[in-house]
Amino acid sequence: MHETTNIQGHPVHAPVVVCRGLTKSYGSGETKTLALRGIDLSVSPGELLMLVGPSGCGKTTLISVIAGILDQDGGTCQLFGQDVSRFSPRERVRFRGKNIGFVFQAFNLVPTLTVAENVAIPLLIGGSRRDEALRRAAWQLEQVGLGGRERDLPGQFSGGQQQRVAIARALVHDPRLVVCDEPTSALDHKTGTKVLEMLKSLAVADNRALVIVTHDQRIFQYADRIAHMDDGMIQETVRQQ
Amino acid sequence: MYKIAITMLLGDKGKYLGIVSGIALASILMIQQPSILLTMLSHTYSLITDISLPDIWVMDPQVRSSEDSRALLDTEVYRVRGVQGVQWAVPLHKGSQSVRLSNGELENATILGLDDATLIGGPGEVADGTLADLRLPDAVIVDESGARNRLARRSDIPGQPPIPLKVGDTLEINEKRAVVVGIARATPTFRSDPIIYTTYNKAKNFNTSDRKMVTFVLAKAKPGENPEEVARRITAATGLAALTADQFKQKSLDFMFQHTGMLINFGFVVVVGFVVGTAVTGQIFYNFTLDNLRYFGVFKAMGATNRLLLGMILLQALLVGLIGFGIGAGLTSLFALSTHSGDNIKLELGLPLLAGSGAAVLLIVLVAAFISARKVLKLEPAVVFKS
Repeated sequence: MHETTNIQGHPVHAPVVVCRGLTKSYGSGETKTLALRGIDLSVSPGELLMLVGPSGCGKTTLISVIAGILDQDGGTCQLFGQDVSRFSPRERVRFRGKNIGFVFQAFNLVPTLTVAENVAIPLLIGGSRRDEALRRAAWQLEQVGLGGRERDLPGQFSGGQQQRVAIARALVHDPRLVVCDEPTSALDHKTGTKVLEMLKSLAVADNRALVIVTHDQRIFQYADRIAHMDDGMIQETVRQQ
Repeated sequence: MYKIAITMLLGDKGKYLGIVSGIALASILMIQQPSILLTMLSHTYSLITDISLPDIWVMDPQVRSSEDSRALLDTEVYRVRGVQGVQWAVPLHKGSQSVRLSNGELENATILGLDDATLIGGPGEVADGTLADLRLPDAVIVDESGARNRLARRSDIPGQPPIPLKVGDTLEINEKRAVVVGIARATPTFRSDPIIYTTYNKAKNFNTSDRKMVTFVLAKAKPGENPEEVARRITAATGLAALTADQFKQKSLDFMFQHTGMLINFGFVVVVGFVVGTAVTGQIFYNFTLDNLRYFGVFKAMGATNRLLLGMILLQALLVGLIGFGIGAGLTSLFALSTHSGDNIKLELGLPLLAGSGAAVLLIVLVAAFISARKVLKLEPAVVFKS
């Protein structure tokens, strides 16, 4: 079992994500918009939590705060027992690079890099040697069923395959938390469900936490819990059978 | 990640070639134009460069450059010889005469009349014939460029190239017969006139209209004497202007800068090259960064620091700068090399010129990198969550 560690390297056994009274606004004065209005949320190791809700309800803002990309205005958000907002910008960047993986709706694979190079990016950013990073990337690509295609460019892959490459990139550095923003919305139903199955089997194994923002009702069945959001608040959280 | 940066740059072939081409073009302008200017300027004192033996040039105080000529009396040579510290002094005549070619056409040429006894002031390299043959009756030595071009004999067959002057050919200088006894290699003059060397006394014969024939008195300081100090003594003793070779070169250059538009015209082209290079490079590099902004955002989300991203952008900028400058300098060098085989202006590319242009290119790419980096450093990684 993976142990989560804090920034000093000490083991931490706790929910991966704990948010209490989280608020976040954009703009000021008359144009001020409250994107988050007091969010209480937790995500446990090995859990797949889906955030669902209409467009503009604050889902993307919430995962940005959870991932340490945006600062909250009020409340607390702890990752692995640590309040990331108290870190210096440099510490936060390093912490995010070490502990969080990302899967995006638009894949965001660099078109001029091979898929192995794309997958290796989190390792290279973390300071791994290039040959070691590419070796690890090749292994990860095998895990997602794309072994032997390391030197191909993303443009040579279908949408589903590109998302599998993105999943490999999100997992290659062994993060404790994987954050996904609409990972299946650019895919057809069959491909989307396959991608979700793969994501769940790979990501949630070994006690990783997975947070997925989605509109796609077809994949609700894969969630452990679904948090329904609207107007910056979590309206209800439903545990799936 | 630096290798990733290079791969991203080279992968976008259109923009990469655009940036490299912009820098190459700017490099060509910033190297070639100053090179032409410097070469032309060196021609303004070609006489001083070619006649390297004397330390001191003595002339009429009104003379403004080596292209100027205001004649002195022959007796001035003796006055200079009498000044303390002067080892020797000889006369040099420099004038312009009409030369009639075999087909009757007239060409202007620069006549250099050298001291009969010593032939000091003669060409450094006589390609055909010998300098000593100038002492023969009616003897002249013609510079190679003049012999091949403006003094060449027109072919009787239409469309054929002119026949170069050779040893043994005759010319008519101011209705006096002249026999070519040698072909010399000399630095072209500023006006690119042919140069005809003869002795001082024969020059008097060719030019019967002028009473005064000495244009410059060439002098050498005795060993152990400071040429500048000797020059000052000559001025004090004779009232003439006496300058060391370097001082005379500088005076000639100053005259060219002050009385011609060369510096402004060439300088303008260099500035245009720099500005256009900066604009083109900056614009395309900025567009390249904009195209990849999303990916920089992804890198940020995945833990890339601003320092790492800045390093990636700087590396990309420096790489295109190096390649573009290399291409520009290479092409300019080939062009300069090609000028050495003809009779036109021969360009020289010195290390200071290349270093200066390289520094300008470095400035261009740093400006381009700075403009692009600002966008990336201010980028919110949350942008990657927008589709």
